[in-house]
Amino acid sequence: MNKFWTRVFLLATAFLLLLFFSNDFGLIDIQKTSIVTAIGIDTSEQEGKIDVTAQIAIPSAGGNSSAGNVTIPAVSTIGEAIAEFNRKTGWYPTLVHCRLVILSETCADNDVFGFLDYFLRSEFVEDSCLVAACRGRADELLAAQTPVGELTSSAITKVLSSEAQKTGLVCVTNLRDFAKGYFSVSESGYLPVLSIKQEAESSGPDSSSSPVFACDKSGPIEKNETTVRRAAPAAETGFSAQPARTRNNFDRLRAPSFFFSPGIQYLPFRRWRPNRNPLPVSTASQSQNGPSEQASSDKKADIFDAAQTLLFYRGRRVEILTEEETLAFNLADTATDFAYGDVSVVENGAKVTYNLKIKISKKSQKLTFPNGKPVFTFTIRAHANVNDADQAFDVQKIARTSIVPPQVLRAAEAKLQTQLSNILQKIQQTNCDLFEMKIKLKRFYPKRYQSLQNSIFSDVQIKYDIKFDTMH
Amino acid sequence: MRTDSFHISRRPLKSRTEVFKSGIPFDFLKIYILSVLEKIVILPHERGKVAQTCDVETNQKTKKKSEFSKNLQENIDAVKAILTAEDIFLFEFCCADKTAATVIYADGITDKELLGTLAARPLAQKNAPKTLEEAQKSLLFPETKTAQSLQQVCDEILSGNPALFIDSIPGAVILGTKKISLRAVMEPQTSITVKGPREGFIEDVKTNMGLIRKRLKSPALQFETLQVGRVSQSVVVIAYLDNIADKKIVKEVRKRIQAIDIDGIPDSSYIGQFLAKKPYSLFKQIGSTEKPDILCAKMLEGRIAILVDGSPIALTLPYLLSEDFQSPQDYFVSPYRATISRILRLFAVLVSLYLPSFYIAAQLFKLQLLPFGLLMTVSGGIQDIPLSPSLELFFLLVVLEILIEASVRMPKYVALALSVIGALVLGDTAVKAGLVSSPAIIIVALSGISAYTVPDLTGTLSVIRITFIVVAGSIGTYGILLLTALILWYLISSDSYGTPLLAPFSPLIPKDLSDSLWKTDIYDLNTRPAVLRGKNKFRLKIKNRGN
Amino acid sequence: MDKISVRQICFLFLAMMPLTKLILYPATVSYWSANDLLLSAALNFVAEGAILALLLLLTKKTEKTFFDLLRSAFGKIGAKIVYGIFALYFAFSALLPVLEHKGFVLQILYENVPSILSFVPLFGVTFFACIKGFKTIGRTADLAMPIFLLSFLGLLFLSVMQADYSALLPIAAAPPKRLLQGSLFGLPWYGDSLCVLFFLGHFRNEKHTAKKILFSFGGGAVATLLFLATFYGIYADIAVKQQNALAHISKYTTAYTSLGRIDLFFVFALTLVSIFYLCVPLQLSVHCVRKIFDDCNPVFPSAALNLAFLVLVIVFNYSYLKIQTLYTQRLWWIYLIFCYALPALSLFLLLFRRKDKTLLRFEQTEETENKNAAERAPSLLQKKMNVSPKRAQKSPSVPKNNERGAS
Repeated sequence: MNKFWTRVFLLATAFLLLLFFSNDFGLIDIQKTSIVTAIGIDTSEQEGKIDVTAQIAIPSAGGNSSAGNVTIPAVSTIGEAIAEFNRKTGWYPTLVHCRLVILSETCADNDVFGFLDYFLRSEFVEDSCLVAACRGRADELLAAQTPVGELTSSAITKVLSSEAQKTGLVCVTNLRDFAKGYFSVSESGYLPVLSIKQEAESSGPDSSSSPVFACDKSGPIEKNETTVRRAAPAAETGFSAQPARTRNNFDRLRAPSFFFSPGIQYLPFRRWRPNRNPLPVSTASQSQNGPSEQASSDKKADIFDAAQTLLFYRGRRVEILTEEETLAFNLADTATDFAYGDVSVVENGAKVTYNLKIKISKKSQKLTFPNGKPVFTFTIRAHANVNDADQAFDVQKIARTSIVPPQVLRAAEAKLQTQLSNILQKIQQTNCDLFEMKIKLKRFYPKRYQSLQNSIFSDVQIKYDIKFDTMH
Repeated sequence: MRTDSFHISRRPLKSRTEVFKSGIPFDFLKIYILSVLEKIVILPHERGKVAQTCDVETNQKTKKKSEFSKNLQENIDAVKAILTAEDIFLFEFCCADKTAATVIYADGITDKELLGTLAARPLAQKNAPKTLEEAQKSLLFPETKTAQSLQQVCDEILSGNPALFIDSIPGAVILGTKKISLRAVMEPQTSITVKGPREGFIEDVKTNMGLIRKRLKSPALQFETLQVGRVSQSVVVIAYLDNIADKKIVKEVRKRIQAIDIDGIPDSSYIGQFLAKKPYSLFKQIGSTEKPDILCAKMLEGRIAILVDGSPIALTLPYLLSEDFQSPQDYFVSPYRATISRILRLFAVLVSLYLPSFYIAAQLFKLQLLPFGLLMTVSGGIQDIPLSPSLELFFLLVVLEILIEASVRMPKYVALALSVIGALVLGDTAVKAGLVSSPAIIIVALSGISAYTVPDLTGTLSVIRITFIVVAGSIGTYGILLLTALILWYLISSDSYGTPLLAPFSPLIPKDLSDSLWKTDIYDLNTRPAVLRGKNKFRLKIKNRGN
Repeated sequence: MDKISVRQICFLFLAMMPLTKLILYPATVSYWSANDLLLSAALNFVAEGAILALLLLLTKKTEKTFFDLLRSAFGKIGAKIVYGIFALYFAFSALLPVLEHKGFVLQILYENVPSILSFVPLFGVTFFACIKGFKTIGRTADLAMPIFLLSFLGLLFLSVMQADYSALLPIAAAPPKRLLQGSLFGLPWYGDSLCVLFFLGHFRNEKHTAKKILFSFGGGAVATLLFLATFYGIYADIAVKQQNALAHISKYTTAYTSLGRIDLFFVFALTLVSIFYLCVPLQLSVHCVRKIFDDCNPVFPSAALNLAFLVLVIVFNYSYLKIQTLYTQRLWWIYLIFCYALPALSLFLLLFRRKDKTLLRFEQTEETENKNAAERAPSLLQKKMNVSPKRAQKSPSVPKNNERGAS
C-alpha cells in the first residue's frame, strides 16, 4: 500500500470515526422515537376536522410494556396530527409498527380515503396494517382495558387476526386490500366493526344496547387540547375518566337459531349466565404486564367483538352485515376454513338444535353467461360433524356423534343460502360489490363489461351449489 | 586410554585487538563505510543491492584467504579471526602418536559429552590419520562431513557442529554433535481436537521434518533447505510432494525466500509476511498449522509447506479462506455432522460480524428490523442508559477485546480474579449501575464467543467487527451492506499464489464444493482440489468399495 | 487480460439482470400498461434476447475483442472514438439506476429520511470496483448467484400466497399504444446484453456457449416476469403507487409473525447484489476509457467517473422524478441506438475479417518478436510491459491461473 492509499484510508477512517462519535446529525434513534402501535380516527366537534388518537407503546426495563394514548384534536389531516404530536410531545412518532387503524363510525359517513391516503402515501408507514371501523369513538376503544392486561392494540389485533378470519369470526381487512377495492372498478370494500363487548363490572342482562351504531349514545367529549391517556393495561389516567358504557349485552352473544357465534370461543360464551357465573374477564386483575400489575379485580376489563361487517361503496359506509351474514360471507368467499354453527330441526315433533363443526373443502364463485345473461354461481362443499346438541340423547346416538343426520345437513345448506341471499339483497341495494362481480366481469368478460358494469347487480341471476356432507 | 592427553583450553579465541591486527578487519571497515554511505547517498531501493554486493565481496575475499593449511595453528588462527565471540572454545588433544588435534566448538549448543566419547576418545587411542577420509573412518560417529571452506567451518560451528582440525591435514571434519534440547511433541494449544492425532510440531525443524516423513513415506516427498537471515542463519525448509504440487509455486516460493535479505527470522510468521503478495492485507494469505496431520493432508491436496527452524508453526500455501472453516475433526465424523458443523461455523462468523452492527443499525436507523416484542424489550432495556446505542456497543466491544488481550497474557494465577472482574464488575454491575443495557451485554458476549468457532480468523473478525460497528453507527444498514460489498470485492480480487482466496465459491469451482461449506462422502472426495492446480488429480481410486 | 467465463456471464444474466427491474420498474410499467405489464416487459425481453442472440453469433465467428474488431474496421483512432462514445453511454446509462438505488436505499433501509451522507460511501465502493477489471464482474456474479437465488425465491415464496394472479386479466386489454409506451419507456431498465459485446474476446467460446447464455437470459427474464406477475397480483389497481416493489411484496406475510419483518434480510441481500450490479456499467465505462488511453492506470478514470457521479447525485438529490421522466420519456431512443441498433450493426464488423486476419498475423509476429526479445533480454520485456526491474524483483510474478482459476 503506497503512501497515497494510506492517506486515503486514514482520511476515510477519520471521517467515519467523526461521524460515529459525533453521531448526532439529525439522527432519530430509538431513544427519541415513540412507537405508535395504533391510530384511531374520530370526527371532531369542529366541522370538517378530525381527532387523531395514537396509541404509544411504553416499554419498561422489565420487559413489561404498557401503552399511552395521545389524542390530537381538531386537525385536518393525519399528517398534521403526526406533526402536531411531534411538536407537542417532543417524541418523533414512528409508524412502522402501527398495526391498526380504527375509524369511528362517524368517519365512515364520509369518504374514508380522505383519512387513509396518508398511510398509502408514505414509505415509512406500512399498508399491511389492519383497518377496522368501530362503534362509538375510536379513542375510547383504544382506551379500553383488556382482560389479560396486554396492549389494547395488541388485543384488538388478535381479534382481527388471520386465525380469527380462518374460523369465520370476522372479516379481516388490511389497508392494502381495502385500498385495492376502493381503487378498483368495484369501488367497494368492507371493514370489521369493532365494539367493546363487555365490561366486567357493569355487565348484565339489563345493560343492553342497540345492535345499530351506538355513537348517538356517547355524549360529546370535550377535547380542547391534546389529551394524553394511558390505555390498557395501565388505564390509570384516561380510562377511568371515560363514561362506562356497555355497548352490547351478553345476550347478543348467545347463539341465534342459525350460524351464530361461530368459532371456537363460542361454547363458553353460549353457556354463560352473568348472574350465576362471573365472566372470565374478571381475572384481568392478575395481569402481569407493566403497571397493570397494580390493577386489582375492581378494574374494568373489556373484550372486543368484531363479528359484524361494515360495507363501503366509494369510501362511504352503506350497509352492515350481521354476525350471521358475516359468517356466511366468510364461508362463501374469504379464507375461512372451518366454523361452528347451530342448526335447528324438528325431530319427533320437538325442536332440536345441533351445533355443527363445519369444514369447508371447496368454495368458489363463478360468473358465467350461459344464455347471454349473467349467472353468478356459489359453489360450496363442506363437511360437518355434530359438535353438540341441546337435547339429551341415548348413548348410541352420542357414540355416532360424528354422523350428522341428513335433515340437519339440508337445513344447514338452506340456512347458508338464506344468509347469502340476504347479503346479495344488500349488495343490490347499495352497489357494494362484496363478491367482486364487477371485477370478475371486467377480468373474464371484458367485452360485456361496458354494457353490464352498471346493471350487473340487478341483471345477475344467482345460483347456489351448496352441499354439506357428514365428516367421515 | 590416556585421558591425560586431553587438554581442553577454555579460552576465548581472540580479543578485539587481535582481530584488528589481522587483515580481516578491513572488510568490516569496508562494510561499515559502505553502510554509512548507503544511508547517506544511496537510494533506499538500492540499499539491499549494495549490502548484497558487499557480502559477496566479503565472501570472495574470505574464500581467497580461507585455503586450509597443513599447519594446525594456522587453521585455528584463521577460524579465530572470524569467530571472535567469547563462547567459541578450543578443545585440544593429542592422538596416540602425539599428533596435535583441535576441536573448535560453540559452547552451549554443542554436546560435549558426545564430542569427547565418540570423537576425541577414538582419535586419542589411535595414531593420527593421514587424510580427512581416514579421520572420518576413525571416528565412532555417523554424522560427519568434510568442510569445503573456512566459511563453512565457521557456519557449522555456529550451528552447534564442531570442527575437528588435525595437524598436517589440510581441512576439517565437521562433527554432528549438535546439542538438541527439545520440547516434547505434544498437542498444540491452538488446535485441540476431540478426535484425531494429537501430535504437534515443535521448534526443531528436523523433528518437524521427521513428523512429516513419518506420515508421508514416499520418495515424492521433497525437502528443500534454505538459509535465511544474515545473522540468525535460520533454516527454512520447503516441503512438498513432487508428484502433486505445482512446481511453479515451488519455484516462486523458493525465489521469494531467497530474495529475503533480513538480519534474522525469529518465527515462521516473518517468512509468511515475505511470502504474502499483499503483506498489509487484513486477511491471511498464507495458511498455517501446528499439526503434522493437517499439514500432510494439505500437502496431499497439492499445497506446499514451509517449515522454519525455531518455529512450531508450519506455513502452507496456496491458502483458501474456506480452509479456516474446516476442522480436522470434520474428516473423522460423518459427512452430515461435518456439514452441520461447517454451516454452524459460517453462521457463527456471520453472527459475530453482523449481530452487533445490525443491533446498532436497528436502533438508530431501522426499528422495523426488530419484531415488536423484541423492540419493546430492547427499548425497555436501554432506558436511562447514558450512552447512545452505538457508543454503548463500541465500548463494550473494546472492553471485550481488552479482556481477551489480558487473559491471553496474564499469569494463570490471576485468571480467576480476571473472570470475576470481567463477569461481575464489568458485566453485572455495569448493568445495575445503568451504564450499559442487558441486551447489549448479551449481543457482545454472543458475538465474542461466536468468533472463536473459527480460531484462525479471530483476529481478522475482531477488526472487521469493530469496523462494522463504526459503519453501522455512522451510516446504518446501508453502511453495513457497503462494507460487506467492499470486503467481498477485496476478497474476490485477492489471490494466494494464483489461487483465488474465495475459491471454490468465487470463482465457482463446482467440483471443489464437495469439501467446502459442506462435506460429502469420502468416495466423492476422490480428486484433489482443482483450484490448487496439482499435477496428479486423483487421490482415491474407486475400484470397488469393499462390498 | 481480464477474463470472464461463460458461466459467469450466465450468472450475470440470471442473477443480476433481473434485480434492476424489481424496484421502480414494476410501478412504472404498471402505469403505462396496467395489467398488461407482462406483455410490455416480454416485448422488451424478446427484443433484447434477439440482440443477445446476434451478439452470440458474433462471438462464434470471432475470438477477437470488440476493440480489435473496431480497429480492424476503422483503425485504431476509429476504435478509440467508438469506445469513447460507449464510455459516455455507459456513464449516462448508470445515472438512472444509481439515483433509483439511492431512492430505494434511503426509503427502505432507513425509517427517517437520512442525510445524503449515508449514500455517498457507495462511490468509494464503486471506485474500488472500477479499478478492478472484468475478472471481478465475473466473480461477483459467482457470488451473487446463490445470494440472489436464495433471497429471490424466499421473497417470492412469501409473496405468492398473497397474490391474485387473475388481476392480470384480461390479457391485451390495454391499448397497443400504451403497451408500446410501456416497452419504450421501460428501455432504461434493459440493455444488459450490450455487456456481451464488451466481453467479446474475454471469454473462451466453449461448446453450447450461446445456448447456455440464452437460457440464462431466459431464466432471468422468467424470474422478472414472475416477479412482475406476483407484484401485480398483490397490488392490482394500486400497483402504480408501489415504488420499491422489491421491499414490499413480502411484508404482508411476515408483518404479523413473531419474527417480524424477516423478509427484510432477503431485501438486504438483494440490495447487496444490486450494489454489485450497479458497478457493471461504471466498470465498463472505465474499461472503455482505459482502452482509449492505451490501458492506462484505472485509478484516474475511476476517480474521475465516481467523482462526477458523486456530484451528479448531490445535484439531482431531489430531482429523481425529473431525471426519470427525462430518461424514460425523452431519451429512450438513446437506449434503442446503443443497446439494440449498434450491437446489431456490430455484426457487420465481420466483413472486415480479411483485414482482421492480417492483423492477427501481424500480432502473432509481434508476439513472437516479444518472446524472442524476452528471452534475449528480460529487462527489455519488463520495460515494454511497464514493469520496473525493482518492482519485478520485489514482487515476482505469480504463476498465472489456469483457465478455471483465472476467471
